[in-house]
Amino acid sequence: MKKQFTIFSLLMIVAMIISACGSSTTKVAPSTAASPFDPAAAKGNIVTAGSSTVFPITQRMADLFRREGYSGNITVDSIGTGAGFERFCKTGETDISNASRPIKEAEKENCQKIGRTPLEFQIAIDALAVVVSSENTFVKNLSKAQLADIFNGKVSKWSELDASYPSEAIKLFSPGTDSGTFDYFVEAILNSKKDGILSVKGIQLSENDNVLAKGIEGSKYAIGYFGFAYYLADKGKLRAVTIEGVEPSKETVENKKYALARPLFIYSDATIMKNKPQVATFIRFCLDAPDKEIVKAGYFPPTTEIKKKANELFENVMGTTP
Amino acid sequence: MRPETVNHPKPSPSFHHRPRPSETIIQSLLFACGILSIFTTLGIVYVLAQESFSFFTNPQVSLINFLTTLEWQPEIDKFGIWSLVNATLITSALAMIVAMPLGLGAAIYLSEYASPRARAILKPTLEILAGVPTVVYGYFALTFVTPILRNILGNETVEIYNMASAGLVMGIMILPLVCSMSEDALHAVPRDLREAAFALSATRLEVATQIVVPAALSGIAAAFILGVSRAVGETMIVAIAAGSGSSFTFNPFQAAETMTGYIARITSGDVSYASLQYQSIFAVGLMLFLITFGLNIVSRIMVARFREVYE
Repeated sequence: MKKQFTIFSLLMIVAMIISACGSSTTKVAPSTAASPFDPAAAKGNIVTAGSSTVFPITQRMADLFRREGYSGNITVDSIGTGAGFERFCKTGETDISNASRPIKEAEKENCQKIGRTPLEFQIAIDALAVVVSSENTFVKNLSKAQLADIFNGKVSKWSELDASYPSEAIKLFSPGTDSGTFDYFVEAILNSKKDGILSVKGIQLSENDNVLAKGIEGSKYAIGYFGFAYYLADKGKLRAVTIEGVEPSKETVENKKYALARPLFIYSDATIMKNKPQVATFIRFCLDAPDKEIVKAGYFPPTTEIKKKANELFENVMGTTP
Repeated sequence: MRPETVNHPKPSPSFHHRPRPSETIIQSLLFACGILSIFTTLGIVYVLAQESFSFFTNPQVSLINFLTTLEWQPEIDKFGIWSLVNATLITSALAMIVAMPLGLGAAIYLSEYASPRARAILKPTLEILAGVPTVVYGYFALTFVTPILRNILGNETVEIYNMASAGLVMGIMILPLVCSMSEDALHAVPRDLREAAFALSATRLEVATQIVVPAALSGIAAAFILGVSRAVGETMIVAIAAGSGSSFTFNPFQAAETMTGYIARITSGDVSYASLQYQSIFAVGLMLFLITFGLNIVSRIMVARFREVYE
């Protein structure tokens, strides 16, 4: 017994030494010395929550932020844009709210009630991907009208859409009602009427886009939609349908030719940014993120005008030049 | 009785109950522990009833619709509970179809046939099965059982999220429970019965199936009811593997959301506390509570009716 105990404790010590040696922080780029928004100087916690679409970006930014020397705790919860605003504007639990759609009036009012004025920073552009399984060889392009018919439940079989398609029932996968992606899709394609999509028999709703991706992969006759990053993550098993003949890419998203290009936001409040300087530092970090980081997260970087607007808003609030 | 003590007026010892403070304290503490379970149940019933009351008195919800219609989609005011209940019942039935024969069979083997060495290996293995977290079971269903089902029955018959794989894995999860309770019941049958049967030249199988199992029937029935209660209340396995859109279907290879799956899905978002959707969770919870409560009552009746008392 004693022998086992000593061996065990020796192993533990060796393991701890190895892990301590292995976790040396590697600096990504030398931070500008006099910058007031230095991640290494930021102290305290940051709480963010919201869109599952924006989640990969915020998660990636949080990782890079920590690598730059941030020592506090930053949490990112992927619960859906609506749920994120619930936490930001009603219960006041979060410092930053991730959103894949602009904030609604009712949500703004809730924020005012708890003394918060939401500030909108656009950090990326998403090309909402309408995906089918890679086993699906018949659907290549869909018009907005066809998309509406499918997701409203007006057509229940593929052959009703186009006689050359097989006569099989369409299996629908969609983000749930807490999701900003759902709200955006209903507004852009379904004319802001959600009764149709919610009454479709057998539609699978989930705020977790990975659940949707897995479901769509599995069936030749399934179709669904979610943020571009989740499509890229599963690119082998999924295929993005072209909308009105336009394929999602950086150009079609920037010149708005792709019909489902939409902005991705993070929201915060001036009082929070001033009282918790680590929040302002993090927002500055996200705004300054190099384009390739946004691309690595799976989305498209904002245009120069959008970046300018966001920077101006930030300067107005924090009163400093970057 | 010795004659010399008959007429002695011996002072009889006082048989008055002498209170010992330490005993009283311990007795009250243990009593409080027992009472706590009653308070917890009352608390749960109160919370469920209060929120369900707000739910049912809301003008958009009618109790008749709740109990008679078949579509559950609170966002568009469809409140028919039956699609959720149906999915729950189908997955539970599948689970019991797996757990009951296998569990009872394992129990009979362990109780009547197994050598001490076989029992020493089998019992701990079954207990390991009982210790696996249900979320692991859920992913086991999704990533292992579903592809097997799709291989056997074809990709188009079996959807990626389906009730069958959730039901089968639930059965595996419940199996240790059914087995251990049945084995206790079988063990409680007195040896005299078995030995009498052997003396009358019954075979082992005859003794096991015609003497012991009927004698232990009340315990086995209790195991069955407990298994069903567990299956009805199971959340993670169905939340992961059975589907996240409610639909009323009898085809077990299609996706359908169960009552517990619905509650898990809605609470994993952030629903506003005053909204109808939030209150609907409690209505579904109340329905679950009533189902398991009913099962409990049935179990007690069955146990009382089938019980055989041996002196």
